[in-house]
Amino acid sequence: MENLDFYNHNIFPIQIGDNQFWITTTIVNTWIIMGVLFVFAIIVRLSLKKFEDIPKGFQNVIEAIVDIFYSFTSSTMGEKNKGFAPFYGSMFLFILLANLSGLVGLRPPTADIATTLSLALMTFFMVQGYGIKSNGIGKYIKGFFEPIPFLFPLNVIGELANPVSLSFRLFGNILGGTIIMALWYSMPWIALKIGLPAVLHAYFDVFAGVLQTFIFVMLSMTFVSSAMEG
Amino acid sequence: MDVMGILDLLIGWMEKVDKRALILGFSAIGAGIAMIAGIGPGVGQGFAAGKAAESVGKNPKGGRQATLVMLLGAAVAETSGIFSLVIAIIMLFANPLVTKEGVGIVLAASALGAGISMLAGIGPGIGQGYAAGKSAEAVGKRPGLQSVIVRTMLLGQAVAQTTGIYALVIALLLLFSQILTK
Repeated sequence: MENLDFYNHNIFPIQIGDNQFWITTTIVNTWIIMGVLFVFAIIVRLSLKKFEDIPKGFQNVIEAIVDIFYSFTSSTMGEKNKGFAPFYGSMFLFILLANLSGLVGLRPPTADIATTLSLALMTFFMVQGYGIKSNGIGKYIKGFFEPIPFLFPLNVIGELANPVSLSFRLFGNILGGTIIMALWYSMPWIALKIGLPAVLHAYFDVFAGVLQTFIFVMLSMTFVSSAMEG
Repeated sequence: MDVMGILDLLIGWMEKVDKRALILGFSAIGAGIAMIAGIGPGVGQGFAAGKAAESVGKNPKGGRQATLVMLLGAAVAETSGIFSLVIAIIMLFANPLVTKEGVGIVLAASALGAGISMLAGIGPGIGQGYAAGKSAEAVGKRPGLQSVIVRTMLLGQAVAQTTGIYALVIALLLLFSQILTK
């Protein structure tokens, strides 16, 4: 199986001062997905003028999507935190498209730990930031010494483990699917590549991709809203 | 001959064997051990199936929904088995250790270690299956609460998967990174 390829390739280098950065498959694919989302957003923005009081067709779909994100956010984070919906909605759409990009032959950006760790770090800093903002710095620091001061190191480790487990969950699941698909396509028997990959794509890209998107966003929401409750 | 003597003999013998043969041999054992993790999903999914059957028997009206929840939960419980399969197949068909620079015995032991690490998948498999079974039971009793129950089940199963993910990360590091071979 010499043609097995599921790696993140360095495509071309960029020189900034003395440092060399590589543009990788992940970066290119991330920009493709961002491009798709940008175009979609612009189409929605332009058609906003034509929207009517009684929705139909395209407007119906858009309103349903927005509605779903708002009700999902308010049922997970509570009614008063409904304002998080645009942020988590965009995050959801980005991760979903990234996970599903394996269907059109791209290497999913979420099969790279750099992507998933940056997404998880956003949640991590939001947890700390909103924890301080809604409870005050005193109560925030006191939270690390509860229930007994002796547990301080464990509390810190537990807090740091959250972004690690959050990012590796998405990364591991999507990478696993990517490896299996790459192995399947590198098999020498042509007969196995007709029809059967559709079933594998349905499970590893569509089922696992949608499920992991849902889980990532829902866990992020839960972490942030429980930090705000203190 | 004492224990240390036997160990000396074994390790001395391993050092004499061709590096490639040593790595492939240990990869074979590693791939086999990795698949033992299949115990977990097996037990878990069996439990889920049993609970779903029980709840369908009690309340046939909620049967279709209980079956749906059981299938969804069992599919998530399968994750550990798939991770093990990925590691085993990499070791069998696309072994990255064979072409790596380094001491033969360390590379061979990496293959074995990657396989053993995947055994951790037994835990998440059983745990997620248990969650799936209990959810199927609950949905069978109160089909109206299906969406809330499914969400809680998926959230809990995701957290239960964490250690299995850590095991996968260590196995991939052992296979692909250069940590032990520098």
